Amino acid sequence: MSRYLVLYLHCLRFSFSRAMEFRVDFFFRVGMDVLWYAVHLVFFWAIYQHAPLLGGWDFDQALVFAAGLFVADAVHMTLFSNNAWMFPLLVNRGDLDYYLVRPVSSLFFLSLREFAANSFLNLVIAVGVLAWALARYPGPLEATAVSVYVALLLLGCFITYCLHFLFMVPVFWMHNAAGLRDTFYGLNRFTARPDAIYTGWVRRVLTTLLPYAILVSFPTRALFESDVGAIAGHMGLVAAALFALLLVAWRRGLRAYSSASS
Amino acid sequence: MIHVRDLSKTYTVHEKAPGLMGSVRSLFARKTVARHAVQGVSLHVAEGEILGLVGANGAGKTTLVKMLAGIIHPTSGEATVLGHIPWQRENDFRRQIALVMGQKAQLWWDLPAADGFLLLREIYRIPEARYRENLAYLAETLDVTRHLHVQVRRLSLGERMKMELIAALLHDPKIVFLDEPTIGLDLTAQRAIREFILSYRETRKPAIILTSHYMEDIERLCKRIVIIDEGAFLYDGPLDQVASRHTSQKVITAHLERPASLPPAVLAGLGTLVKQEEYLLQVRVLRARVAEAAATILRELPVADLAIDEEDIGTVIERIFRERRVGPS
Repeated sequence: MSRYLVLYLHCLRFSFSRAMEFRVDFFFRVGMDVLWYAVHLVFFWAIYQHAPLLGGWDFDQALVFAAGLFVADAVHMTLFSNNAWMFPLLVNRGDLDYYLVRPVSSLFFLSLREFAANSFLNLVIAVGVLAWALARYPGPLEATAVSVYVALLLLGCFITYCLHFLFMVPVFWMHNAAGLRDTFYGLNRFTARPDAIYTGWVRRVLTTLLPYAILVSFPTRALFESDVGAIAGHMGLVAAALFALLLVAWRRGLRAYSSASS
Repeated sequence: MIHVRDLSKTYTVHEKAPGLMGSVRSLFARKTVARHAVQGVSLHVAEGEILGLVGANGAGKTTLVKMLAGIIHPTSGEATVLGHIPWQRENDFRRQIALVMGQKAQLWWDLPAADGFLLLREIYRIPEARYRENLAYLAETLDVTRHLHVQVRRLSLGERMKMELIAALLHDPKIVFLDEPTIGLDLTAQRAIREFILSYRETRKPAIILTSHYMEDIERLCKRIVIIDEGAFLYDGPLDQVASRHTSQKVITAHLERPASLPPAVLAGLGTLVKQEEYLLQVRVLRARVAEAAATILRELPVADLAIDEEDIGTVIERIFRERRVGPS
């Protein structure tokens, strides 16, 4: 485990060194994400001008939800998103070859190779927004509850990672990932709304098979509601099932990998 | 070290008729064909041996190398490399092999090669002292020590390939797969890399499997070659026996004192004309008739110098490929 941590620290160092090379791109991406945060905050503010509650949450709770969404998004963008984006290209160009001859987990390397250093600043900003949203929350919030919330939020990030790569792995057989990528990002919009607004079979699907609705909403519900054990259990089961599925799909994908002509 | 038996790899590819209608038809009814990249090949490679894989583009050289390196799964057949089944990708196997692909980079483009080497040190768990010793040896031998801290993208193609070789060899692999290591390089860089490979093999004794389109690579580096075409082996044996086994002819080259030529009827009786210039005549003749042909040339022409050679190895191999496609000429 410590070896993988050392390897990851190398990747971090490389990614930072490289990101600093391209200053304009570095600051442009920061600006783009800050704009995205602003759009979401304005969206929730506008809704609460017309309704006192959304999915059972008042404005202060929705603000924590939105801030959690920013953090989850920033974590995903910083750690995984670039890697998932590049992955189909690596498969189709045959650039997986060098990863497969190294004596380390190829899934580890291909998932975490690129650390999006320019998104890291956004992560700092998002954590600041979350700290502000929690600090201004008028009700009592215990340290333990906040810790559980943060842990579940990170578990949600892990589930997002599993989902994203599960959507990308079929590229081993399909060789074109544009549709898969669009589907992942299209469905990811379900994450940005409180889960309570979904009902019936839509809710069942969005909390189990395609668990977008649980990624940020469930940690937020764990913070404001009492059923923490059930929420944590549900998220843990989903995370374990998706990761197991990802490992199986990965193994089968590598079996089907045909590299590319040189 | 490497044992291969009846190894095959077949790809299923789909064919599409040209034009828009062809695309639409292929959307609903797709015609697939099996493409046999490697067909039932068997092979043994010993420690310290350099085996050259020779073949045209698409002959199956790289596919074979990728199966032996564990990158792709075969369709059928067996292989063990250092006692491991390559495509099971056990870490113990991967720690003992190295792969260099002339057309693909493994180092980080925007960073100095030295940074990439540090990552490889961690990946292969190379002890610090051995890492330093190997890096110093490889960088000095390849004459790139002063470039170690330059961004990879700022290096020349030859320097980049040298860095790729260092990256591949830092962990003292027992088997090295070199897929077109000199492709695109100028003659000086090609020569430097060839000399390095020979010197490395002399000191570290790995088994090396080399593919190259440059016959000079093969001739300088390999004592044994495999000629591969359409996925099948046409020849597996010593390089110096390719000509004697696959051609019944030799080449007579006569340098003349003054411009002269043979009458067409005499020339036709000698063999096949290869080249004729004012001061030069080159003919390909049957081995059995070499003495007679040489005597005729000496008698009929003002010869300043005469040489009788085996055919150029590249020419022999080209003819082997050509004869497989269109029959003997």
